[in-house]
Amino acid sequence: MTRVIAITGKGGTGKTAVAALLIRYLSKKGKFLLAVDADADTNLPETLGCEDVKTVGEVKEYLQAEITKPKPDNPDMNKESILKSKVYEIIEEMPGYDLLVMGRPEGSGCYCYVNNLLRGIMDKLITNYDVVIIDAEAGLEHFSRKIIRDIDDLIVVTDASRRGFRTAERIRELVEELDSNIGRIHVIANKVTDANREELIKLAEDLKLNMIGMIPLDPKIEEMDIKGIPLFKIPDDSIAAVEIESIVKKLGF
Amino acid sequence: MSEFPFEISPMFEGERVRKEGMFVELGGPKSLGLELVRAKPMDEIEDGKVTIVGPDLKDMEEGKTYPWAMIFHVGGELVEPDLESVIERRVHDFINYCQGIMHLNQRYDVWMRISKDTAAKMDSFEPFGKAVMMLFKTELPFIEKMQVTFYTDQAEVEKQMAEAMEIFKARDARTKDLHDEDVDVFYGCTLCQSFAPTNVCVVSPDRVSLCGAINWFDGRAAAKVDPEGPQFAIEKGELLDAKTGEYSGVNEVAKKLSSGEFDKIKLHSFFDAPHTSCGCFEVVGFYIPEVDGIGWVNREYQGMAPNGLGFSTMAGQTGGGKQIVGFLGIGINYFYSPKFIQADGGWNRVVWLPSMLKEKIDEAIPDDMKDKIATEKDVTDIESLKTFLKEKNHPVVANWAAEAEEEEEEEEEEEEVAAEAAPMMMPAAGFQMPAMPAMPMMSGGAGGIKLTFKNAKITIDRMIISEKKEKK
Repeated sequence: MTRVIAITGKGGTGKTAVAALLIRYLSKKGKFLLAVDADADTNLPETLGCEDVKTVGEVKEYLQAEITKPKPDNPDMNKESILKSKVYEIIEEMPGYDLLVMGRPEGSGCYCYVNNLLRGIMDKLITNYDVVIIDAEAGLEHFSRKIIRDIDDLIVVTDASRRGFRTAERIRELVEELDSNIGRIHVIANKVTDANREELIKLAEDLKLNMIGMIPLDPKIEEMDIKGIPLFKIPDDSIAAVEIESIVKKLGF
Repeated sequence: MSEFPFEISPMFEGERVRKEGMFVELGGPKSLGLELVRAKPMDEIEDGKVTIVGPDLKDMEEGKTYPWAMIFHVGGELVEPDLESVIERRVHDFINYCQGIMHLNQRYDVWMRISKDTAAKMDSFEPFGKAVMMLFKTELPFIEKMQVTFYTDQAEVEKQMAEAMEIFKARDARTKDLHDEDVDVFYGCTLCQSFAPTNVCVVSPDRVSLCGAINWFDGRAAAKVDPEGPQFAIEKGELLDAKTGEYSGVNEVAKKLSSGEFDKIKLHSFFDAPHTSCGCFEVVGFYIPEVDGIGWVNREYQGMAPNGLGFSTMAGQTGGGKQIVGFLGIGINYFYSPKFIQADGGWNRVVWLPSMLKEKIDEAIPDDMKDKIATEKDVTDIESLKTFLKEKNHPVVANWAAEAEEEEEEEEEEEEVAAEAAPMMMPAAGFQMPAMPAMPMMSGGAGGIKLTFKNAKITIDRMIISEKKEKK
């Protein structure tokens, strides 16, 4: 069975960095993995060291334009198989894992049909992998549209701010409203320092959020960010990478 | 299925063969890939035969891409050329049932990969061909005999491709020529019921879905794969009225799927029992009572129609899965239908289109109507529309005269009708009408009026009936 893990949180909390670290650790451990960038801002590819990726959004636009042409050249075309082909074509084959970028939000027309096709394709695609890691925007749009139907673990990344934790709380409420199947919700606190550690633990308890990790503010990450080195190349012994190992264990891998 | 070197199961559909795990790639974005199914007489087919023209699997070099064409010949008492495309669509499914073989796309864009694991288990494409044909004959038992030829030689593939292109062209011409009367089954789609619970989208050869995305062929393909899915077959039943496109089977489904809200849907009617409108239609049509004509506005058009309303306002009125008399949502492709609102005059009733839409569907507009249909560049309001139509002698103008005469004769009756007709619209639609003149229920014709109230809740605050005084 494929384990589907979505990572979300308020912008700027470092959710993409956490996603990249999880992808790195799990694929190093030999898990065959699909990384999905479901944030319209698409930072994940760069963080993983991959540039110029095509997106599902572009593919959807292409198909939408093709099938709503006033006079299609070929009314009998197999749209499902064309969409699937295009999606499979844009999957970036990285060493040890695959990367799929959702990209731009859809245009003004009706995407019910295309999304319905995409759902079926994603359902089957996901079964190819041991783990799927999704970098998702806080609004969880792709989940409300059920492009990806079932999530085993939803991890909300927050920074050391009260607002970050509030976002986590709101996401928990949002999830209850969605009728998607979301198994467990966890919180990871990012950029934690000794000064705010105790405070954050208490905040999580007060809000009844299940905190599974506290990633310390890692000077190595900041340094790499400034130099433009993909985070994927972080050394194993950096403090953030060590904490990720403990988080992965808590997730039951 | 132990006779084959690889496993066969629907479970493998969607299996991705990665570059790292791939032995060879066939066709695809970097090469030529073709698949074609042809119906042939029984005596021309050697059942189960696999022919390979060009290098076979064992002669191929690991990691390389080869051109690829596969031509299936099928025969059987029930096999006819019209079924070729239906059979061909299943090639994708059945090849993907084979473990370690990835098949994508269709027709002249085929892309396949054979995994290293599967390639290690066989040295020829022969067992693969036999497996696919076994699946075809099991799942589509009307195929009595089948043979296949695989081409991997560049020149041969090019030759097959050129011939196939002609076949596809002829086939497309045939599909474009398919009409409601040529088929026994239409298709329904309930994808939009999530937000428009009583919407019943009926897709026929002459009527595309409102979103424009699903045509009759898509319905047929989807319903074959998953009859319980969102697209399903509707036996069209008895033809009740050819002009309006009313079928007993469609009416039954309309009643069932709308939970009794409607008992009729006439496919090519604008006024009487029109198709329901979901909310995602590409274009909305609106009746303009002052000129007794119909205007259409597309989703992309930002401006106002001559009635002073924009797409979004009218879409709000029309959507929600109701039959709204006076508005109709359609897919752009429906303009090309020879049955385009034929119950209500077809193109002769169209008075206004946004210029961008008019250009887009130029081919669909009959030549004699092209300069008679106004756009936002010609007119801005009802008055200027009237003048334009009169100048161009639009067919609706002839109705004006007839109506004016009637008006004089039946002045008093009309007064009554107007009083009743105006509030009737609101409860039926379930929301407030915008500030616009009441829409008459009749479409120009002479004679009386039939008012049917169903499930209506009418609230009238005040009703004043008084003698009409001539204003001069």
